[in-house]
Amino acid sequence: MTEINLDDKDETEIVQLSPLDGMGTAPDPAWFEQPANELPFERYVLTTPLHLVAATESRTNQWTEWNGYTLANVYTTVEQEYDALRTRAALSDISPLVKYRISGKDAAIYLDRLLTQSVAGVAVNQVARAVLCAGDGCIVTEGLLFRLGETDFRLVVRSPHLDWMLDSAEDFEVGVEDVSGTIAAMSLCGPLAEAVLEAVGIEQANSLEKAQAVWVELGGMPVYVSRTGMMGGSEFELWADPDDAPIVWRRLLDAGRTFGLLPVGMAVRNVARLENGIALEGIDYQSGFSAPDLSTACSPFDLGQGDRVSLERSLFNGQKALTAIAKRGSRHAMKGIEVDASPGVRIEAIFVGDRKVGRVTSHAWSPRLQHHIALALIETDALGASSGFTVEVNEEGEGCKRLAVKLEKRPFLEFS
Amino acid sequence: MSEDALQYDAIVIGAGHNGLVTAGYLARAGKKVVVLEASSAIGGAARTGEISPDYQVSTGAHLISCLPKKVERDLKLAKHGLVWATRDVATVALDQGGKHVIIPAGGKKDIATLTAHATRDGDAWRRFDAQMKKFISVIGPFLEGPVPEMGPDLPGRVPVTTALRLEKLGPRDLRAFLRFMPSSIARILDATFEGDLVKGALALDATLGHHSGPKTPGTAFSFLYKRALETLGQGTGYPAGGAGALSDALAASAESTGARIRLDSPVAQIIAGAGKVSGVRLEDGTVFEAPLVMSSADPKTTCLDLLGARHFEAPMAKHIGRIRSQGSAAKINLALEGLPTFENFTDREYGGRLLIAPDMATVERSFIAAKRNELTLDPVMEMVIPSYHDPRLAPMGHHVLSIVVPNVPFDVEGGWDARRDEFVKRVIDTIALYAPDVSNKIIAGEILTPPEIEEKLGLKGGHWHQGDMSFDQLLAFRPAPGMANYATPVEGLYLCGAGTHPGGGLTGLPGKYAADTALLKEKIS
Ligand SMILES: Cc1cc2nc3c(=O)[nH]c(=O)nc-3n(C[C@H](O)[C@H](O)[C@H](O)COP(=O)(O)OP(=O)(O)OC[C@H]3O[C@@H](n4cnc5c(N)ncnc54)[C@H](O)[C@@H]3O)c2cc1C
Repeated sequence: MTEINLDDKDETEIVQLSPLDGMGTAPDPAWFEQPANELPFERYVLTTPLHLVAATESRTNQWTEWNGYTLANVYTTVEQEYDALRTRAALSDISPLVKYRISGKDAAIYLDRLLTQSVAGVAVNQVARAVLCAGDGCIVTEGLLFRLGETDFRLVVRSPHLDWMLDSAEDFEVGVEDVSGTIAAMSLCGPLAEAVLEAVGIEQANSLEKAQAVWVELGGMPVYVSRTGMMGGSEFELWADPDDAPIVWRRLLDAGRTFGLLPVGMAVRNVARLENGIALEGIDYQSGFSAPDLSTACSPFDLGQGDRVSLERSLFNGQKALTAIAKRGSRHAMKGIEVDASPGVRIEAIFVGDRKVGRVTSHAWSPRLQHHIALALIETDALGASSGFTVEVNEEGEGCKRLAVKLEKRPFLEFS
Repeated sequence: MSEDALQYDAIVIGAGHNGLVTAGYLARAGKKVVVLEASSAIGGAARTGEISPDYQVSTGAHLISCLPKKVERDLKLAKHGLVWATRDVATVALDQGGKHVIIPAGGKKDIATLTAHATRDGDAWRRFDAQMKKFISVIGPFLEGPVPEMGPDLPGRVPVTTALRLEKLGPRDLRAFLRFMPSSIARILDATFEGDLVKGALALDATLGHHSGPKTPGTAFSFLYKRALETLGQGTGYPAGGAGALSDALAASAESTGARIRLDSPVAQIIAGAGKVSGVRLEDGTVFEAPLVMSSADPKTTCLDLLGARHFEAPMAKHIGRIRSQGSAAKINLALEGLPTFENFTDREYGGRLLIAPDMATVERSFIAAKRNELTLDPVMEMVIPSYHDPRLAPMGHHVLSIVVPNVPFDVEGGWDARRDEFVKRVIDTIALYAPDVSNKIIAGEILTPPEIEEKLGLKGGHWHQGDMSFDQLLAFRPAPGMANYATPVEGLYLCGAGTHPGGGLTGLPGKYAADTALLKEKIS
């Protein structure tokens, strides 16, 4: 082993090579601000308010994209991050979520018409799952609805649909505003997530019920904390001002160090949400508006989320079509499958005998379960058979082979 | 206002002819019906008014060509005063040289008027007419009742006759049919006829009352559709007393079965809750209650203004908001102290439907001008001298001339106040090219510009069909996709005006089919 003596390095040379040197620990954020004369939507690569602090944590320079925003895919290694998320605590930037503020006299009845479930029973500081359907019953997008006040709501969804929201607002006294840029969001999850929050002084966390939210103060900064998420297990989401968010992030990381908290990228979050059995708009199925054909779009019934639709109530977008679908049944259904294959394979189609009956929409190796788990969109008429399913597995260098699979209950992982 | 009983079985909004037909059918079925009309007269676009004392004329619509016998008989219109002045009005395409063309060319003499312009047009007419009849046999069955709704099982619900006739067409006619449907009428006519006059007249027929020109794709279908509707009627004509006489008879019929018609009662709001209609509120606040509300006001007004977009799924409200209903016709009614002199006119021509459309280019130019909010230099028009068959409309020896001028912009460049006289002068000057003495015979006149048609006849946007009758707004798409069966998402609220299937014109069919649908629905549930 050769010893490297850092002190021997020619410091002046480094100064010349690094433009960042001498400017403090991080580059000037102003570099990343949009120039004033830039047209809206002119930029295709966007950075979240947490970009700089997240970049500081990256050891791999592996990035991915969501709604046009650059996000860390892997900070350190998949194994380490997975381990943190499932056994300790994980912190992630989820700012690319689209946030709408809906307020005004008719806000609640507007949302009643927009969403598949009534918001009447949602109390202030409570969070409800929100599903938006198009006229044909296909999901437009989905997410969470926060009731901030009697007539003030925040809808957080996966993809932007302002035009749809505004079209739906005709005849209602309601303001609909895209406030995505004014709110940064972080996810904190894992068995020790609650302890981390307590360590930064957010004691309210432990009394927070599932699907509840609370305003807290962190060093004078207002932060809205909700017990929400889709990784399964103990999890929180924190909503903060973009200027405050990097500081909140730092504080959580610093306080979490002793608990083994790690920043976790999108790659591991994808594994974790799959373990939790959650299908995502834009990944497992397409928004009803962007799907090239009906075979890639899903109604809530197709996802097994019939309980998120209350048909017997006042009119809402998609009601007529969903009533018909409920009566005649879905064309296809999203199912979980487990595949006994090694990591690194590609799984695409699902068969019964020689007939292709569906598509695998996402799959991942679950370190916890030690096999592949996948979501597959399967034609309903093939689902009568409870066995006999096979998938086509492509392995680098090994070619293609068929493996028998079983339909599994979702979520794949049990959380206490 | 104190009224003891404001509770009814059914409320009909609008006393246009369709509203009155609906009221008639509902009352006949034993319902206690009230018709609420905004203006102080019944009839909507089908009414008779005075140009000046003793000179009466159909204020708006002036010819009836598709009123089915069934409606007339069911509602006993003859018993309630409907007398036809004529039912045999031929179309005369006017020629400045006096070589007028008669359409449809029935006998040899009519054919001769065609061949006088182009020798081959006689045969062309026979072939064209035969082919149109075949095509009409295919789409006709769709007009004989409510249209089947779009849906996955649509093929099973297409009228059997249509399926059979489509098959019977044979490959050659089927190909011709499929090419015909999306074509412009200009393409079809250019490929069929040689004479400019016949082409101009048929092109005007295809586009009259629509916001389109002969070169607009889909106008071949409009032409076919109009002719198909006419096959349901009993010949083109008008009642003694003008179009208003039809409305009067409809009103009398409805009232004889217990319906009440209340004028000066503009409905401001349709009251609905929990997905059901419960009544209406007038502008003055009076509330009428009924579990059934039938609106003959245009679909946009009914759904978005009177009811509200919130009662529809957002995509449906959007569809309704997008209904094209730009008005594009004006009406000029003149009182004349004698018949204007047209060269080579006999009884048949004087009593006819006179078209000024010398060629397709002129028709197209007028459309282009309208599109640009301009007035065309040489307007095209449809004229009737109703006093010819119905002398009581004017003092002895005097006449009234009723003129529909299509392709007139709703918002004219410079404003109507500044340009009204210029417009009337252009129209009269154009008529004078055919009947030079017309100007000297004018005693009085009235003009309804598109905005005035909106205001005086209660037609929103001044559109005489409550929505363009183009392929994309007809049949299963009228008034909007998913709403073709008169019902709305609000239980008990139905549409029954010209904005619904099978569309505008004095047919009474939307009113009848809507009433049929509502009564059937009630029987089933
Ligand atoms: C200038 C002109 C010429 C025409 N020529 C012909 C022709 O020659 N032949 C032909 O067949 N057709 C013709 N038409 C078309 C034909 O007149 C119409 O398609 C037909 O009259 C429509 O009848 P309707 O009963 O459906 O509607 P309308 O006649 O429009 O009646 C609707 C009624 O509802 C009332 N209403 C609206 N809103 C309210 C409210 N909120 N509360 C209460 N009442 C309300 C209106 O006042 C009106 O009386 C012509 C139209 C125009 C404008």
